[in-house]
Amino acid sequence: MDLDAKKRELLDNGCCVVPSVLTPAEAERVRERLWAAARESERIGVPTRQIGLDPNEHNVRVFYLLERDEVFRELIQHPMAIEFVTTLLTPDFLISNFTANIALPGSQSMELHSDQGIVVPEPWFQPWSINIIWCLNDVDEDNGATRYLPGSHKLQRASDLPADARARMVPFTASAGSFVVMDGRLWHTSGANVSKDRERALLFGYYSRSFIRQQQNWNASLSPETIEALSPQLRAWLGLEARANVKLAQRLRIHPVATHTKLTS
Amino acid sequence: MMRDTAQAAKDIETSGFCIIPDVLPSDRLERVREALYRAASEDRVRGWEQKFRLDYAHDDTNQRVWNLLSRDPVFADLVEDPLALGLVKSTIGWPALLGNISANITGPGGGEMILHADQIFVPEPWPATPQGVNVAWCVDDFTEENGATRIVPGSHRLNRKPSPDEASKDSVALEAPAGSIIVMESRVWHKTGNNRTKAQRRAGIFAWYTRPIYRQQENWFLSLNPAIRQFASDDLLVLLGYRTEGLGLVNGKSPA
Repeated sequence: MDLDAKKRELLDNGCCVVPSVLTPAEAERVRERLWAAARESERIGVPTRQIGLDPNEHNVRVFYLLERDEVFRELIQHPMAIEFVTTLLTPDFLISNFTANIALPGSQSMELHSDQGIVVPEPWFQPWSINIIWCLNDVDEDNGATRYLPGSHKLQRASDLPADARARMVPFTASAGSFVVMDGRLWHTSGANVSKDRERALLFGYYSRSFIRQQQNWNASLSPETIEALSPQLRAWLGLEARANVKLAQRLRIHPVATHTKLTS
Repeated sequence: MMRDTAQAAKDIETSGFCIIPDVLPSDRLERVREALYRAASEDRVRGWEQKFRLDYAHDDTNQRVWNLLSRDPVFADLVEDPLALGLVKSTIGWPALLGNISANITGPGGGEMILHADQIFVPEPWPATPQGVNVAWCVDDFTEENGATRIVPGSHRLNRKPSPDEASKDSVALEAPAGSIIVMESRVWHKTGNNRTKAQRRAGIFAWYTRPIYRQQENWFLSLNPAIRQFASDDLLVLLGYRTEGLGLVNGKSPA
């Protein structure tokens, strides 16, 4: 794989598919652990269905991946993932969320949106977030691949969205073990799983610039045992400590001769 | 004096700030003042003081006191004071987050801060509206001589941070009696002034609020005294980030 070409594709189109980051056997193992995590969530009373976010009960959502299993703590900091995250966001980023969306046959499409646009006021000039989407099944149009509008990460306002945006959207295709990189500004929607019997398991590693509030409150959601076992690097990337949003003065300096004029009023 | 909040909101829009005197009656002011100076003196005695990067780096007389919420519940009352919170809501909307509440105490001979806008962590170009608002509680009289906050009126309309060669731009000292609040929207250029007095300390408490998409300056989930959360009002839970929508979730839902 030509890494530089992939990065260029991300910058030009707003997304790219990075193939075979995991072997098929590794992807299958992660998929098994994901279903185990989903069962564990249900067992402890954390629902795996979110009607409202999804149109019906055919999407299985797992919210607590980093707490559930070490394999997810490895994936979120996978060197290849971090390579693309830092390419788009600079090294000054935090891990915002890591969740799964397993679309079962019959699951339908979400509303068209950009991840950054639903949070950050327009105009959007720079990427402030990125999704690394791990594919645990082969994914295509049939089983609900994410549909996106190529190049729409360059739109600065919602009103710039073309009227026929939905018609111009395309699904991505990727084999199990690949990940899809998506600029936070790219307009997209989950696809409908119209297959007869194919599951579509995706993991969404979501990262944002460090001044943006994270989707997940890691301090309040990770157990003390899990936090204890994290590397200093992962703790920093999760924002568990007093890092981020404090780099106020980086490019400022003391002016040598500061003078005042007192204006009275 | 001005207690007309509609006028205050208009002043913030026009000039970037407003001053409202007599918000704290003398008994409450005394209680706040006593709690603040006790915390400041504890920090100094214990060597807990932490400098701020925007402050004048070369004196030991000015002092910051961080995370006031954990020092005394009286500071939580300031955070959700109805008048202050009303202006927060009219400036940045609701829900909002409390980024921090900290004190800035100038001491005799203390140097000034770097001219800045509070939202400089937001990359430019900035959105068309302020992303935060700072409510400064005057614990002592703010005077030109004792290091009152200095402001460049109307600079919020430039909608950008000051460049280094604008650091010494003309500014006005915000003189206000103890018990007043000064409300500054996040784009207006300002700084702590020089304290040129021989013996006066001048304390201000700065409650910094942002729109809910930004990471808080203080990590409350790490540092807050649990009792404050336990007894928090609904508004305070929202401000701290415990009652939330969309961002800051636990297991896909609000932690409180």
